Amino acid sequence: MSNGTRETIGRRRYLQAAGAAAFAASLAGCSGGGGSGGDGGGSGGGTTTSGANASAGNETGTGTSIENPQTRGEYLQVANRFSHDQAPWIFLNRQYSVYGVANTVEWEARRDERIDGYAVVPSGGKETVTITQSQMDSGLDPHDHRETPTDNIVLQAYEGLLSRDAQGEIVPELASEYERIEPGRVRFRIREGPTFHSGDPLTPEDVAFSINRIVDDEVGGLVSPQSDQLAGVTGAEVVDGERAVDVTSDGINPIVFSLFASYCDVMQQSWVQSNDGPYINTHMNGTGPFRLANYQEGVQVVYERAPNYWQDPAPAAGLTIRSADESSTRVNQLLGGETDLAVNVPPQDVNRIRDSGSAGISPAPSTRVLFNAMRHDVEPFSSPEFRRAMNLAIDLDSIVENVLSGFADATGQPTLEGFSGFNPQVDPYPQNVGKAEQLVEESGQAGAQLTLHTPVGRYLKDVEIAQAVANQIDQLSNVSCSVEQREFSALAEEITTGKIEDKPPFYLIGWGNATFDASQTIVPLLASNGELTTFSSERLDSLMNEAGSLPGDQESG
Amino acid sequence: MISPRTLGNLRREFRSSALAKLGVLIVVVVVGVAVLAPMFAPHDPTTQNLDRSQLPPVGFSTTTNSTSTEMVNGSLEVINETNEINATLTYPLGTDSLGRGMLSRVIYGARTSLLVGLLGTILAAVVGVSVGLVAGYYRGRVDDTLMRSADVMLAFPSLVLAIALVGLWGRAAWRVPDPLVVAGITPEMPASFVLPGTVIVVVGLVNWVWFARVARGEALSVREQSYVKAARSVGASNSFIIRRHILPNSATPILVLGTIQVAAIILLESALSFLGFSGTTLSWGFDIARGRDYLASSWWISTVPGIAIVLSVIGINLLGDWLRDALDPGIGGEGGSGGA
Amino acid sequence: MALGRFVLKRALQGIVVVWGVVTVVFGLRFITPGNPISVIAPLDASPETRQAIARELGLNDPLYVQYLDYLLGLLQGDMGYSYISNTQASAQVFARLPATLELAVVATIVAVVISIPLGVLSATRRNEPADYGATLFSLAGISTPNFWLGIMLVLVFAVQLEIFKTSGRGPGFVSALSMLVTQGSAAGLLSWLSYITLPALALGTYFTALITRLTRSGMLDELGSAYVKAVRAKGLPETLVRYKHALRNTLVPVITVLGLQLGTLIGGAVITEAVFDWPGLGTLVITSITARDWPILQGSLVVIGVGFVLINIAVDTLYAYVNPQVVYE
Repeated sequence: MSNGTRETIGRRRYLQAAGAAAFAASLAGCSGGGGSGGDGGGSGGGTTTSGANASAGNETGTGTSIENPQTRGEYLQVANRFSHDQAPWIFLNRQYSVYGVANTVEWEARRDERIDGYAVVPSGGKETVTITQSQMDSGLDPHDHRETPTDNIVLQAYEGLLSRDAQGEIVPELASEYERIEPGRVRFRIREGPTFHSGDPLTPEDVAFSINRIVDDEVGGLVSPQSDQLAGVTGAEVVDGERAVDVTSDGINPIVFSLFASYCDVMQQSWVQSNDGPYINTHMNGTGPFRLANYQEGVQVVYERAPNYWQDPAPAAGLTIRSADESSTRVNQLLGGETDLAVNVPPQDVNRIRDSGSAGISPAPSTRVLFNAMRHDVEPFSSPEFRRAMNLAIDLDSIVENVLSGFADATGQPTLEGFSGFNPQVDPYPQNVGKAEQLVEESGQAGAQLTLHTPVGRYLKDVEIAQAVANQIDQLSNVSCSVEQREFSALAEEITTGKIEDKPPFYLIGWGNATFDASQTIVPLLASNGELTTFSSERLDSLMNEAGSLPGDQESG
Repeated sequence: MISPRTLGNLRREFRSSALAKLGVLIVVVVVGVAVLAPMFAPHDPTTQNLDRSQLPPVGFSTTTNSTSTEMVNGSLEVINETNEINATLTYPLGTDSLGRGMLSRVIYGARTSLLVGLLGTILAAVVGVSVGLVAGYYRGRVDDTLMRSADVMLAFPSLVLAIALVGLWGRAAWRVPDPLVVAGITPEMPASFVLPGTVIVVVGLVNWVWFARVARGEALSVREQSYVKAARSVGASNSFIIRRHILPNSATPILVLGTIQVAAIILLESALSFLGFSGTTLSWGFDIARGRDYLASSWWISTVPGIAIVLSVIGINLLGDWLRDALDPGIGGEGGSGGA
Repeated sequence: MALGRFVLKRALQGIVVVWGVVTVVFGLRFITPGNPISVIAPLDASPETRQAIARELGLNDPLYVQYLDYLLGLLQGDMGYSYISNTQASAQVFARLPATLELAVVATIVAVVISIPLGVLSATRRNEPADYGATLFSLAGISTPNFWLGIMLVLVFAVQLEIFKTSGRGPGFVSALSMLVTQGSAAGLLSWLSYITLPALALGTYFTALITRLTRSGMLDELGSAYVKAVRAKGLPETLVRYKHALRNTLVPVITVLGLQLGTLIGGAVITEAVFDWPGLGTLVITSITARDWPILQGSLVVIGVGFVLINIAVDTLYAYVNPQVVYE
């Protein structure tokens, strides 16, 4: 499947399916608003698309194509347009997930960076599958982590109420039906049949307990770091006399089903309550297609096919997940037949894998966006002109092409294409050095010296991207810029204290958003009271408040 | 401090040994290149040229495939292209993934390695010799306390301790203005040079023990010499005796140990940079780590700085062998912590 | 009897050193910027939650109470719980120990087996091609960073020639051996070799080179010594002179240096493990530093430190046994 020189990835199909309603809404908004966004003032110097020129020249962001937003999707689109114009970040690229897949298995990459062992089909008499990630888990408690590598390890054995198919569309899992009962209350009907690996059947009490364990610090002996993944959810209770669970939220919580499609693994209440933390972190008891066979912390996790799975049994009899933090090691393992599926294949190794004849490449645009945050409360970043100038200084296309070998998409707004709230009228900033220098002069910040903090090895080519960005800013005649490399944990510590003054003024970071919804990027990162915010604007806050009070688009069941 | 007899020994050993000559030659070249880096480097080692990335060294022109993705009619297509990649004399040792010349990077990397090696060794020597002389001269409880703490230090492998300290304390770095650029001789080169501060302090702190051991041994033997006893009997102060009599006597073994330590610390620094625990990106170890991702397509990014390390360390080790053979300091000469 | 007293004295000194190691490891956290709570607590944890975590870990206690708690815990084999995964730190650390020991032991064996004959050869064929070859090899060996050597070995022998595995540990020696014993199959051992050969070479090369140099210079000294000349004059065969008398005396300083260089061996193992993704203490140290997982980092450092002290006592004892006058030092 990988021997051709051109291969097509079903991107259009995805866009139609993932948030189909949202996409339709955004198109509607566009036609309603009339113009295509090319009405800004200084559209002189640019050579690319009109939308970008418009915003580049605008002081106040009047280039919004939706004058009077009505629906949630429209509010989010306006918020994205506003974010583009205000340029709180240097908008960089959408990361791709590029996997190497041995010919001995069949598997297609997903959009949400998850690897579901259930979907890996071994062929040619092969019984077991080995997956090499970049990192191992941080313990097996499904409610006590927030990173993709751990997610991938727990999701083989644990399941949620809802899930997503490979295209990102919400599908039922442990819940057979779901509906909104009233603005702040939704109901999940719990499927009959699933059993935990301990042999006990799944009950609605287990589901309610699992939700409360995440959102309520007093339940389940754990302060879960996932409470904001179920943002707005206040609690869950079993519906009397029915095999159903009601989930209550603060306000209308438009994205509640989206959240449950990505998060909240269901655990067994009695199992959690009769075991302590270290035990739960080294054992598994879910309802999923695989059960834990052997756990070597930090080294590997071995699973076997769960015998009484409520759906068709998993195609692979056994599954092993290992890790190698060096991309070259993962590729070597794949080509050496030591693993069947390697995550995060770097662009420069793609051809080597294709040419090997023993493995192929499976890429997918991820839900992660890379950007350089600029703190709005310190000079020179307090000036919107200066921030726009930084965006205009960057040759994003060259970075995408040369640093990332094309395995990335340029972005121009916080929200990624295909997400609810994405504004198709907004294009990435084009490079315009003259305009950038002029804006720097206008901002009164000429001569600024910048230091860009970047994590090392956390994201695909993070250091290279940061160095390219700093280099291009440095090329401006009136700004100088250098890179400071940071240990990710140290940088993350400064970013996550909740206080803006603890953050570096200028840093590169990536943000994954598995809910496929704009609010889960804009609210935490750009709203005034966002957990990780570097920006503050009454207009953006009010747009997001409006959006938060309207029902979402994916409400079916 | 250096007697004519010592000089004679050095000269005789140098004349008779081809390896000594080779060692001195390598060290002179490496030091010269490091000091005059802005003049030798053909390009600014930090300037990127994304259009000329991953060029092979001269003599290794190749054909490679490149991959890109493009949106065609709303669907994403992956396109393979076959490209001739020709080496160019502009970049004799090729370029890295961001189009920076490997030759320039190797030349500037020599600065980092030598500066960290020298400054780290000096720091280790100052701390270690002070501790060792005091311990050996006063003996008794002072000796026990200091030497037990040296044992504690030894119980942490220097690389492990260095990783822990740099990783935990952060990677502070100082920007030092480059005199050649400030003087206007090479204005196109970077105006300042990054000195990895934490790394220098840490490699010094984890390696002082070797100096302490040697200095203590010297102090132990010298303090029993008749002239020291005489000095003490006429009322010379302890610090005077240590400075005037014991320190000069320890100079030879410390010099030899110091030479070996420079080599060991260069290896240690490259290991720290390789693991990402450094404060500068202009380092051989750092380039090896970056190039590791490109081994299959652009082997030279890792290979060139590796060869630079091996050659420089060989040179310094040969210099150390020469000094040891000529000066015969009686320390066996294999103290130190290399092998990183 | 004298030897017994010597060992006792060294053991007491060792206990003092171990106490120092533990104290340094404990103190490391307090000279490091950053608060452990931010590692454990979720990003959006309330101040009350943070306080509760601090209380649970005893971070609010006076320093000496925390210190005594840590010492008492260690005495009972309790290294605390991982900040990241909340599992027992001691379990994780001891699970990794065998892999590191295996690598270090194999590398040492490789080094000794190659280097001593090579050093003897070099000394007895002085200024012949064999000597030059050995000298050149040993010079390059002590000057090559082992991580770079490892990368190059992988490139050539694993990626290009596909003889050995690129990374990982495979079954481990014990299970490979038990496979041989219980099933009579050598497949396990072969698989074990395919994993361990390259890392052992990468780690062992520096020591091979070092011991070759030591053996060569020691042999040269001994062959020119009055003692060997006397033995030779008695008409003993040259082979006997060389291998029985000269070599034996040469080995004494070799053992000492090996003991001293043990730290280098373990340090080298750390970076070799990083290159080969060898699941040992070294990779554990690096990941725990990156993640600021203090209990794991402290536990690993204590185990490395104690191991180093124990082996040093063993080396000293061996040295005293071979060379009795040190006892009366």
